[in-house]
Amino acid sequence: MKTNAPEQKRPESASEIESSAASWAAKADRGDLSLDEQAALEKWLGADTRRLGAYARALAVNAHFDRAAALGPGFSPDDFEEARPSPPPALKRRHFLFAGGAALAASVAAAVGFGALSAGAAVVTAKGDTRRIALAEGSAITLNTDSRIEPRFEERLRQVDLVKGEALFDVSLDRNRPFVVHAGDVRVRVLGTSFSVRRFDDGGVEVAVLEGHVEVGAAGELHPHSLRRGQRVRVSPRGDFRIERLSHAALERSIGWRRGIIDLQGMTLAQAAAEYARYSDRRIVIADPAVGAMKVTGVYSTSDPLGFARAAALSMGIQAIPTADGVRLDRR
Amino acid sequence: MPSHDRTQWLARRILPHEGELRTWLSRRPLVGLDIDDVVQESYAILAGLGCVGHIRNPRTYLFEVAKSVVLMALRRSQVVSFSALTDMESLEVPCDAPGPDAIAAGRQELERIATFIATLPPKCREVFTLRKVHELSQREVAHRMGISESTVEKHMGKALRLLANAITYGGNSPIPASKACEDERARTETSGIRLRN
Repeated sequence: MKTNAPEQKRPESASEIESSAASWAAKADRGDLSLDEQAALEKWLGADTRRLGAYARALAVNAHFDRAAALGPGFSPDDFEEARPSPPPALKRRHFLFAGGAALAASVAAAVGFGALSAGAAVVTAKGDTRRIALAEGSAITLNTDSRIEPRFEERLRQVDLVKGEALFDVSLDRNRPFVVHAGDVRVRVLGTSFSVRRFDDGGVEVAVLEGHVEVGAAGELHPHSLRRGQRVRVSPRGDFRIERLSHAALERSIGWRRGIIDLQGMTLAQAAAEYARYSDRRIVIADPAVGAMKVTGVYSTSDPLGFARAAALSMGIQAIPTADGVRLDRR
Repeated sequence: MPSHDRTQWLARRILPHEGELRTWLSRRPLVGLDIDDVVQESYAILAGLGCVGHIRNPRTYLFEVAKSVVLMALRRSQVVSFSALTDMESLEVPCDAPGPDAIAAGRQELERIATFIATLPPKCREVFTLRKVHELSQREVAHRMGISESTVEKHMGKALRLLANAITYGGNSPIPASKACEDERARTETSGIRLRN
């Protein structure tokens, strides 16, 4: 908390205020504030109107989550996260559990996941779903829309084939048991880290490292490229490597899909439409190349292509015409 | 300082629309203004209102308040072009079709809440789950986890900060301005296609 710091000359940023406000809300959540704390809070609030706003908002967020009590004492966030896909096809999931040959109660999710994985069963997501799988050895894999992985876990080696789509890997450190992801001909080797791998329909592969470092190379290659935190490599269908640096914000944006968010910053309408096609069968159709080349921006819900199309139409002065299976964007 | 009732009102009537507001603001000419600043100023105004009983439509009210915050800031700054000002003044606040996430069904809302909790870092998540799902006090959480009360408080602060970001960016679809909204409605009715899936 910055209550004791002298008032800064530089205007305090909204995000600094937000941070202090959350701390104050956490303090208030403890019970009644002492008189001293009360006075300190009032002094803090009085110095900038934004602080009152941020504090009121933080209290509101806390109150919003009072509803969590309705989840009941049996709630375990880990279970929930794993069962999260929106909504998981129940049949397919049961299938997946039995495929591992382990008819265990679903409540021991981690153990079941491992049982199934070591048996080499595939894990798939339908279009629009995401799924997180916790592995018994401490790693976790989050699958994006329309994806398929085939794990092969052995005593000395953890291997996963990304057959299709995109996945985020949070890998626990185990020097004696390396973790290798195969995406077609591209091979990603890890010790302990968090990174995402995406396969494109044209055969290209993209690997982005959020934490730690990984080695990326063609299968069987002796001198793989070392990729550090914040770097992303795009491997073209012909096998060319192009490494770029991403800001922290850009990295976070690139895995927004975990939270159902799609970031269209800097994309053209045509690219955005293609991106949405990954998540939904409701198509955004653009016939006019000039319309397709228009730049879009903003953060949207992965589950609402039509909402996006309408917003885009509105902000660009074009029209969004509903069709039987989606929407068409065209000039007015 | 916001009362208990005002906090509840903000949580139920305002917070669910913040994502939409941010999307709406992000497409406006804010000329160097930060969206977060506008949001904070808006909450400050809402928290400071004498009473809110007369506000029949909190969502529209929120948008109007935010718009006034932007206008005030634009007027204060000398460098802003006249056209930016008139652009903003002539802006229509989006019509009142509730966003899909704003009025989520109870179960769905609960599922969202569970998902957000699940995305917190482990320690933070444990603290927050014990506090909000099991409804233990911070002191009881500290006791249960064998950590100090100040550590619990710190985790709570972190959780609130992360969750505030998560829920207000969490996939609220953008809302068209009112005219387009009505057109859309008319079109939807005639063609019989449901637009919000």
